[in-house]
Amino acid sequence: MGHRGSAQDIGRINWQPFDFGPREATKTRRRSTKNKEQSTTFLRPKTKVQSPFIPMNLYKYSSPVNFYPLAGRLIPWFAIPAAILFTVGMFVGFFIAPADFQQGEAYRIIFIHVPAAWLGMFLYVLMAIYAGIGWAFNARLSSMMASSISITGAMFTFLSLVTGAFWGKPTWGTWWVWDARMTSTLILMFLYIGFISLQSSIEDPRRADRAGAVLAIVGVINIPIIYFSVQWWNTLHQGATIRLLQKPTIHGSMLYALLIMLAACWLYSVAVVLIRVRCIILEREQNAARFAEATI
Amino acid sequence: MNWPDLSMGGYGFYIWGSYLFALLAFVWELVTLSYRKKSQLQEKSSREILRGSTNETTS
Repeated sequence: MGHRGSAQDIGRINWQPFDFGPREATKTRRRSTKNKEQSTTFLRPKTKVQSPFIPMNLYKYSSPVNFYPLAGRLIPWFAIPAAILFTVGMFVGFFIAPADFQQGEAYRIIFIHVPAAWLGMFLYVLMAIYAGIGWAFNARLSSMMASSISITGAMFTFLSLVTGAFWGKPTWGTWWVWDARMTSTLILMFLYIGFISLQSSIEDPRRADRAGAVLAIVGVINIPIIYFSVQWWNTLHQGATIRLLQKPTIHGSMLYALLIMLAACWLYSVAVVLIRVRCIILEREQNAARFAEATI
Repeated sequence: MNWPDLSMGGYGFYIWGSYLFALLAFVWELVTLSYRKKSQLQEKSSREILRGSTNETTS
């Protein structure tokens, strides 16, 4: 009869350094002899605990080594739908959605500008959550996820600024103004750059993760400022077109194209973040192995 | 179905410019990722080769 954990079992997990003992596979044991640092940094529960609420034991995937193959299997499930949705979204946006009565064809930049801006903000919050979990619980994979998200988030924020400038020139008559929405988005871009620079400037990954987490968490304050800037200040930037609790003010086909492109960008982000986190796992493991070899 | 012309009512430069920039950003991200992955694999194989060498200075 298999072990079934209860709710109390979760509180009784005895976390301790994973010793790569005899219960583990031969391949893993062989690794541990080469990599002394790894044997002290990997944390796993001593007893096998299964949550009563989750049908399979997902706790094991908090380990970078176990997550690596899972991420590899998940990537096509996000990348292929992303490519399909990009194609469908562009088709609906350019061939089905009508021209805007005020802005004419120029409004079609919305289908890339708005998803990029939303993802820039959303990925920052996600990055801060992962960085915070990594800092609070010393969870290595969370910190790696935060590092992985940061580059994609910075790319989307930069994209939103550039496409916004391309939209601003024909509609406002200028590429850039020091408007509250645009300035706060630029600050978001600087926060991403700061996070990436801070992490790459500190050699010890654990210290780099902690420093990055502090910056990421402090920077979250900028997200509501970006979102509500069009309400709090008199800005040149237009207000929100789509709200959760109100009926959208745009044509149905425009809304569908926008939501399809948003889903495509979101799926693309997940796929790219998973690819990058696999690289980060390998890099850190290789560095740890190199360190172990140097110290033996 | 609408068949928009390439000039996009005079806004073609801005619309196609923004989508071209987005495409470049996506391609840049994917290329740098594949380069990063490739260099990792090269490093691993070269490390394996170096481990097997005898570190001799003469043949």
